Amino acid sequence: MSVVGSPLVPPERIDLDGLVAAIQERFSAVVSLSRADKGVLLSLHLKDPESLPPLSLFLYWEIGCSFGGLIVEEHSHAWQLRYLFLASGSGWIDIVLELPLGGRSVPSITAAVHAADWHEREAEDLFGLQFENHPRLGDFILHDQIWPEGAAPHRKPQRKSVDVHQTQLRRRPNPNWRPLLVVQDPGSFAMPVGPVYEGGIGESLHFILETVGEDVLRAAPRLFYKFRGVEKIAEGTRVSHALLLSERFAAKSSFAHSLAFSSAIEKICDVEVPPRAARLRVILAELERLRHHAGAITGICESTALSVAASQAAIIEEELLRASCHFTGHRYLFGLNKPGGLRRDFNSDGFRDLLNAVGRAVDELRILENRLHFTSSFLDRLEDVGVVDPNKARDLNLLGPVGRASGRCHDLRRECSYGGYGDYQFEVPRENEGDGYARLRVLFAEAAQSAKLIRQAVDSLQPGPISVPCEATHSGAALGWVEAPIGAALHWVRLDSSGLVERYRAITPSFNNWLGFHVAVEDFAFQDFPIILATFALSAAECDR
Amino acid sequence: MTASTWIEGTLALFFILSGCGFILSATIRDKYSVQIIAYISALCSSLMMFASAVTLATGRSFEATLWNLQGLGLLQVRLDMLSATFLFAAGLVYLPASFFVRNFLRQRFGGRYPARRYGALHFALMASVVLILIANDTVLFLISWECMSILCYLLVNYEQDPRTDTRAGFILLAMSEAGFLAVVIAFLIIGRAASDWSFPALAAAASQLSNQAAWGVFLLGFLGFGVKAGLVPVNFWLPRCYTAAPSIFVPVLAGVTFNLGFYGIVRLNVALASSLGFGPGLFALLTGGVTALVGILYATTDNDMKTMLAHSSIENAGIIVAGIGASLVFRASGYAVPAAIALTAALYHMVNHSVYKTLLFQGVGDIEAVTGTREMDRLGGLAHFFPALSVVFLVGCLSISAVPPFNGFVSEWLTLQSLLRSAVLFSPGVKILFALCGASLALTAALAVTCFVKVYAMSFLGLKRGSWHPNVRRNVGRFQFPAAYLAVACFLLGVLPTFVIPMLNRAVEPLVGSSVSASLVPQFFTATPSNAQLPVPFLAEFHNLGAQVGQRVLPGRGLVVLHRGAPENPVVFAMSPSYSLVALALLLFFTWLIVTRSTRKRTLTRNELWAGGIPRLLPEMFYTATGFSNPVRVVFQAIFRPNIVEDTRETVAVHFRTAILRRRDETHLVDRLFFHPVGDAITWIARLLAGMHHGRLNAYIAYTVVFLLVILLLFRLS
Amino acid sequence: MSFWFWHGLSNGVRSTGYPRVPESAPGVTPGRPVATEFSSAERSSLAAADCPVDAIVPRGASALVDLRSCVYCQRCRFGGAYPLQWTQDHEWTTVAAGRENYVPLPRSYRRSLHIMVVDAGDCGACLHEVKHLNNPFYNAHRLGIFFTATPRSADVLLVVGPVSENMRVPLLKTYEAMPTPKRIVAVGACAITGGVFGRGFMSAGGVSSVLPVDLEIPGDPPPPLAILHGLLAVTGRKALAPRQPDFGRTA
Repeated sequence: MSVVGSPLVPPERIDLDGLVAAIQERFSAVVSLSRADKGVLLSLHLKDPESLPPLSLFLYWEIGCSFGGLIVEEHSHAWQLRYLFLASGSGWIDIVLELPLGGRSVPSITAAVHAADWHEREAEDLFGLQFENHPRLGDFILHDQIWPEGAAPHRKPQRKSVDVHQTQLRRRPNPNWRPLLVVQDPGSFAMPVGPVYEGGIGESLHFILETVGEDVLRAAPRLFYKFRGVEKIAEGTRVSHALLLSERFAAKSSFAHSLAFSSAIEKICDVEVPPRAARLRVILAELERLRHHAGAITGICESTALSVAASQAAIIEEELLRASCHFTGHRYLFGLNKPGGLRRDFNSDGFRDLLNAVGRAVDELRILENRLHFTSSFLDRLEDVGVVDPNKARDLNLLGPVGRASGRCHDLRRECSYGGYGDYQFEVPRENEGDGYARLRVLFAEAAQSAKLIRQAVDSLQPGPISVPCEATHSGAALGWVEAPIGAALHWVRLDSSGLVERYRAITPSFNNWLGFHVAVEDFAFQDFPIILATFALSAAECDR
Repeated sequence: MTASTWIEGTLALFFILSGCGFILSATIRDKYSVQIIAYISALCSSLMMFASAVTLATGRSFEATLWNLQGLGLLQVRLDMLSATFLFAAGLVYLPASFFVRNFLRQRFGGRYPARRYGALHFALMASVVLILIANDTVLFLISWECMSILCYLLVNYEQDPRTDTRAGFILLAMSEAGFLAVVIAFLIIGRAASDWSFPALAAAASQLSNQAAWGVFLLGFLGFGVKAGLVPVNFWLPRCYTAAPSIFVPVLAGVTFNLGFYGIVRLNVALASSLGFGPGLFALLTGGVTALVGILYATTDNDMKTMLAHSSIENAGIIVAGIGASLVFRASGYAVPAAIALTAALYHMVNHSVYKTLLFQGVGDIEAVTGTREMDRLGGLAHFFPALSVVFLVGCLSISAVPPFNGFVSEWLTLQSLLRSAVLFSPGVKILFALCGASLALTAALAVTCFVKVYAMSFLGLKRGSWHPNVRRNVGRFQFPAAYLAVACFLLGVLPTFVIPMLNRAVEPLVGSSVSASLVPQFFTATPSNAQLPVPFLAEFHNLGAQVGQRVLPGRGLVVLHRGAPENPVVFAMSPSYSLVALALLLFFTWLIVTRSTRKRTLTRNELWAGGIPRLLPEMFYTATGFSNPVRVVFQAIFRPNIVEDTRETVAVHFRTAILRRRDETHLVDRLFFHPVGDAITWIARLLAGMHHGRLNAYIAYTVVFLLVILLLFRLS
Repeated sequence: MSFWFWHGLSNGVRSTGYPRVPESAPGVTPGRPVATEFSSAERSSLAAADCPVDAIVPRGASALVDLRSCVYCQRCRFGGAYPLQWTQDHEWTTVAAGRENYVPLPRSYRRSLHIMVVDAGDCGACLHEVKHLNNPFYNAHRLGIFFTATPRSADVLLVVGPVSENMRVPLLKTYEAMPTPKRIVAVGACAITGGVFGRGFMSAGGVSSVLPVDLEIPGDPPPPLAILHGLLAVTGRKALAPRQPDFGRTA
């Protein structure tokens, strides 16, 4: 599939009216537009499923939107598929496709938008939807060695063809399972890594590295060993319980996810948080980002076995964790957000201690960065290793620090401003090499920017209320988003008429970035695999939900 | 009866028996001829060993004259010490080979294989090998050499299996003839100055040759015999030929006929080169060093077991020739003792190599018979099905990797030690060359360990990787006489070097002029230990260390190999595999005792293999032989210069790949540098000459006339 | 390169004195809710209603805390009408509920304990806290506690997460690959009761439904010092906290 020219420079603002005009010019026969306000600016309702791939191609490659994700909802009368795209500077656009419940096949857009690959596979596994022309459906979330075909656990219970509970009892690992091996060389072999990670203490992930001895020729990830079905558990619960779930499926960015969830509920209830709460949210979100990046830097130093630097970075992270605990009562900032604002306020002593801790952390990070710059044995393992070139980053829609290190400078705090971020001065760092060292530099730069933001937010705090009442008593659906430490996270919530959660969809940045991980690993040596894994600093828990 | 009579009788009996074997196997039905081949051949090889043993034991050589050919002189035979050494090695290998042939014919072909022809060729080859070794006269030598070449070719192309490459046989024949031609020219050059064609006369004439003639003879002889010995740059036939030869013949090819090249080199060049100074020795040393390194590099990265063993033979040839070269250099500098040590090391390595290479090739033949494949990437897990085969193959691998207490250790150690003696030489350039070759041989030894660890581990250990089914009905798993015999021989040659060295000394002493047993094996088993070179108080210290243990029980001089350099460089080196074996056995015993006593209270549970919790551990997830040797491939990429072709097939979008095909094309270094250029040059010349043959009668008549005119002019002018 | 040597030395010793001396630096533990006396039963019921996972059990006028279920949402700490009291300690490891005949590992393991960590679907917080045991502050090495990469040389199996369905078989394989004597420690509310995920189609609701758990370390996540207390208790170096009263809950 040939692609029309791919813009590598940071996207300028995409003008919404111009976009509407362009779409009406090309696709007026199949699309009806409507403006919305629950987080999504523009909805394109497709009448003909066959025009989905060309429209996605148009939006992604010609207009230059980035891809958000796919949301599948099963209503009583039809399937509703929502493909989210971000028009930077303006807001979110979605393509809405409705399908009758009986017919379950949709044309796949993966050939046009490669980033949609995993979204479609997930929909197939969890809902049983078939995507035409997608060659790799199956064995994604529901591993083939355990689950029979057609389980579709996210479907409504009355319409499920396979009783999930029964299969749970009858489940036995399939003894004939074989991985799909692609390399055909007489001397090639497939080295398995995981799921119980052999590098010490690590998350459960599984990779099959096909190699002929030195270089990895193909890295095939098999994730979702930690899939807990958060989206399904949230269905039918109260908003306060779903808030707990949103915080706890990925603890290292828990504040960011709970922020996105809360902002979605706030949009449904049409409330706006008071300014003090918005500023406090900025402080806490940036504190979480600073601490997360310190942890990622620790991981990189550990993977290259530079023990003293790893210990020093671990000291910085632990001090930030202790500062968070002293400030908020929890080391990972659980239990602070609620729809409508924050659950508690802080006093000036707390802010003073926090600023001291943040200042110390930033100074230490600067010293660390300077010294790492001169440690050539460390740089040898990072420079030109795990390279993701900008074309590939664009192709696969990489987000967050990983994307920024490969020239893809998307940041929701800038492009689609939320929570008052437009009032602050900060830079979004960007590198072009795409190797491990570029990712490390981006992490350091973002940490410094986070500290700057915290200081600005504390300085501009005004006294006032920290929350407004926000009780959900009616139905509605909205999109909440946040720039989590790993990248852009989207939360889509639909409430039913009694205010309970009907559908909760969390599109996480790790889910997007894991898709691109194999590009970095292939054609580099085996020994670089843990280092590249550390420089990506992705979270399996966040991806798996 | 004197020793002479014994030897004469034995040799005569040998020839009679081999003739009978030849006739019987050609005429009797296959069912019985297989047994006949085995037993008569075993008897013949025993006679070979007996004759050579008597010669070496008594120190008396045997001479006889056969016939008088008109115009070519007397045909003479002589079984002297050098010939006896090679004859013993040949007999040592032919004995188990006879039984291997029988087992193989019965297992694999059971009546469908025309054993008749094989038997006939087998006996003919045996007879020609013995004739080469005892020939004392150029004509007999050359005739039997040619017979041997042709018989080798016939045996290599024996199977006529459409899958095998008959081109390998042709290349063998072509190179054999080219080598033969070089040797003939060398003999002719000397023969011009000699009175008759017998070897003693040639030796006398050799000292009177001019420098250029001597160099010419040396080079032609060295490279001519080097073809058979497998030296770079004339060894490109060897890997092809060993791979294409049938498994039944390769053990003999690698164990017996391979040594004939060294015999020729030692016979012709060692006697000759004394007048030329350093040059020939250095040339041999360098050739040996390069050959060894190239051989082992290709062996480590090859995955077909037969080809890998062929390259390993090239490596061992390099080591032997390096030893010979070192010996020549020392002799030319006047250091007879180091020269003797180096030559002993070379001959010892030759004997050892015959034994363990035959063992390994027999093992590969068995593996191929039971699994149908020789690719190490497809094997694996054989130890589980064939335990006896895995034990003897392990012994072979340990021997070739020079691990004590097996025989490879002794000869490689002696070779490297003799290279270290180069400190006594004067010229710094020569010393540097010795150091470089020593380093090359050390690297070779390390790579050899890598190579054979890979071979054993990938074939016998781990899980079964290919789709073959182990044919357990073939009795390969149980006790097999040939393999056990060779394994025991490896062990004995490794553990009792102090008995072997005095035997080899008989061959070395006349060539070098100094006794090696006097300088390498002190007599710790006499009441007062003595050694020609070492002071008595020094020896007495070793006596107190226990070097005399076994004095009352064992025959021989002692069990310690010990050498002290010349007074200006009195470095001592010593080793004793015999005592090391005792120490090793004691250590193992005590360890076993301690472990069993201390873990008596523990319970042992067996569980499945821990593999990180993956659903199922598949054979594709184990290391392959290619993966194991990949680092060597990458480090020496400049030598290999591979051409890697990678082809990715995609579906739907570039994003999804269905297959990544990878192919690695390599041309052998020697092919790249010699075979292909020489072949291209010859083809070019042939094409030029072909331009003359266009079929027109007038042109041919013109050629004849022109030729006549030129001849007349030449006669006129001379 | 010599810079790192001096830099490390110049930063001094950061290790905590625990277990020799109690650690009380700010932020080192979030603390835990404890049983609180209210003025009336109605108030304690209202306080209990605040808890989304029913970890507060009203018994008359006092509100007891089922720490095994507590997910640290802090709603009983800030913002509610009737907040509970919280302490700032961190030694709250207990023997697993329903586990009889628990014996700690023998004395010879006290200075040399090898731990195999398996992530059975956890959110990342508990695993990260376990990882922090190796940082200079807690430095588990000085106490003889090591983390191994293979279960073959492990004495203790530390499980975090509610045992997602896909990790059930690898977890069982890890357990079977460990030689005896072995102990299993479940860390975090998810590993003990399933946490907010509970028992569902993809989560087993706690390690005890899959393996026989010996010790439980409540918390969401328990701070590194709490985990350290639990690991010291496995060999008997530290005393365990008393078992909670049985609140009549399964698992």
